[in-house]
Order: sequence, then C-alpha cells, then structure tokens
Amino acid sequence: MDLAVDIIKQGGKRQSERFMREKLHASIVAACLSVRAPEGQAEPIANAVCESVIVWLRQHPEVTSNDIRIVATKQLRIHHPEAAYLYEQHRITI
Amino acid sequence: MDTISSLAIISLAALIHASFQLSVSVLTLLSGHSIGAKHSQSRLFRLTTSFVIGAGTMTLLLLSFFSLLLINIFGSNIPQIVWAVGCGLLIGVGIAVWIFYYRHENGTTLWIPRSMAIYLNKRTKLTKSSAEAFGLGLSSIIGEVIFIIAPIFIATLVIIQLQPMWQLVGISIYTVISLLSLLIVWILVGNRYNLGKIQKWRESNKYFLQFVAGSGLIVLAFFVYVSEIIGSSVGFK
Repeated sequence: MDLAVDIIKQGGKRQSERFMREKLHASIVAACLSVRAPEGQAEPIANAVCESVIVWLRQHPEVTSNDIRIVATKQLRIHHPEAAYLYEQHRITI
Repeated sequence: MDTISSLAIISLAALIHASFQLSVSVLTLLSGHSIGAKHSQSRLFRLTTSFVIGAGTMTLLLLSFFSLLLINIFGSNIPQIVWAVGCGLLIGVGIAVWIFYYRHENGTTLWIPRSMAIYLNKRTKLTKSSAEAFGLGLSSIIGEVIFIIAPIFIATLVIIQLQPMWQLVGISIYTVISLLSLLIVWILVGNRYNLGKIQKWRESNKYFLQFVAGSGLIVLAFFVYVSEIIGSSVGFK
C-alpha cells in the first residue's frame, strides 16, 4: 500500500516521490539479515516497523527521506537494536 | 641501508597503509548489501574475495608504477632531497591524518571528497558480480590515495634501492601487509560474523586508529630521516 505522502529526497536535488511501503520493508529486512537475524524474525520486524512509520506518516503529509530513516530507526531499535544500529550507520559508513 | 632494515621500513609503511579504513568501509557495506539481498554464502564469498583481490591489485599497480617512475628518474641512487621530500610528505600527511582523517560526526565517515564517497556508496549497492566487486576494490584504493600516497612513496624509495630479487619480495610484502585489515574483515564475514559488531568496533575505535595511523607516519618519517639523511651526512652509510 502506498500512502499519498511526498518524500523529499536527500539534499532536495532529486524529484520527490511517493512513499513506498515495500521499499522501506526491504531495507528493514536487509538490515536485520545483515546482523544475521533469521528471515523468519526479519519479516515480522519489518512489518511492525512499516506499520509504525505509516501511522507516523498519516500525521505528516510531506517529509524527507531522512525523517523516515530516523523514525524507522527509532522503531527498529525497539525490536532489534543491532539491526537498528546498522540501519542507522548505512549512510555514515564511508 | 641493509636488506633487513629496508624490509622493516617497507613493512611499517604497509602496516600504516593497512590502518587506513576506506577499503574496510566499502567491504563492510558490500557484505551488508549482499547479505541483505539474500545472496548465498558462496556468492558473498566470491564478491568479497574479488573485492580484496581488486584492492591488492591496485596497491601492487601503484607501487610498481611509482617504482618504475622513480627508478627511471633517479636510478637506484636517490638524492637526499628526494628523501627529504618523502619525510616531509610523511609528516604532512601524518598531521593531516591526526586532524582530518575521520569527520567529526557519528559513524565512520572519512575526510575524502564527498563525490567519491557517494560514488563508492552507490557502486557498492549496485555490485552484483565478481568483476564489479574487483573494480570496486580497485576504486576504493584510488579513493584513499590522498592518504596512502605517503607510505607508498617511501616504500617505493626503499624498494628501488634493493637488489632486483629483493624488489619483488619488497613489493609482495608491502601488498600482503597492506591488505591485513581487509583480510581480517574478509575472514570474519566469511565466518558469518555479525556485521553490526564489526561496524560498532570500527566506530568505537576510530579515533584510536586515526591516532595510530598519524603517529605511524610521523615515526616512519623520523626513522627515514635519521637513517637516510642524518646517517649519510655523518658517514654511517
């Protein structure tokens, strides 16, 4: 399900895009798998994080991709702190 | 300078090279993307192995290129002014590493051009085949050339003074030792070690690694200065 929320991309240089749940879900699953969490654990965690982010987005019609990352990290930290750490680190590794 | 001292300098220069972190960051990211994309362990192994071979190849090429260049210009008798320039370069880069190497923010972001960092980040995500991983390994060494130029320059000056057979040994030693940090991460990833723990360790110890790399360059500069400039001035050579 895609929400009618515009995501302003990092730096504002690229065109804004609609929020895509699958994209967020895939990135959360990837973070969980990267810390060697089993796939059976990664999927429900990603679902729970996506739902929380969608609830938050309903109150914010225009957000940046970084805002989503911050909210998703906060939610992921509740379920899997190590995966949240790696998810947060993704853009600040190099 | 005798062969043992020369190999010791080459080894120290290579250890300093190994303490630089761009390739390790890229390898960590590459492994993360590969595991996250549910690739098999054998594919992950192929990608990371190709990356390490790529990094080693570029190190070997840089070292060989500088050796060829300097041997054509100076032969095997290096003028003292060139040693002095090498020492100056080591001290300059050493101080720069102390001050600038890591950006003062969370994570392990390095003081390299942002366009290069963004390029490497994007390429890491898009890397699917061994050939691309090999290319990424080559690029990651180019990305940190601003820092590794100093140890490579000094190692080159030492290598071209050796006998031809020992030159090959020197180049091999430098390449293998400079890959040590990458090899450690490669082994850990191959043994299904948690990437989060690797990144956490790197972030927790980043200022220590920065201090060690900068100090190593300065120690190497003093050693080379005493051995090659003061030593020859007072007739020890």
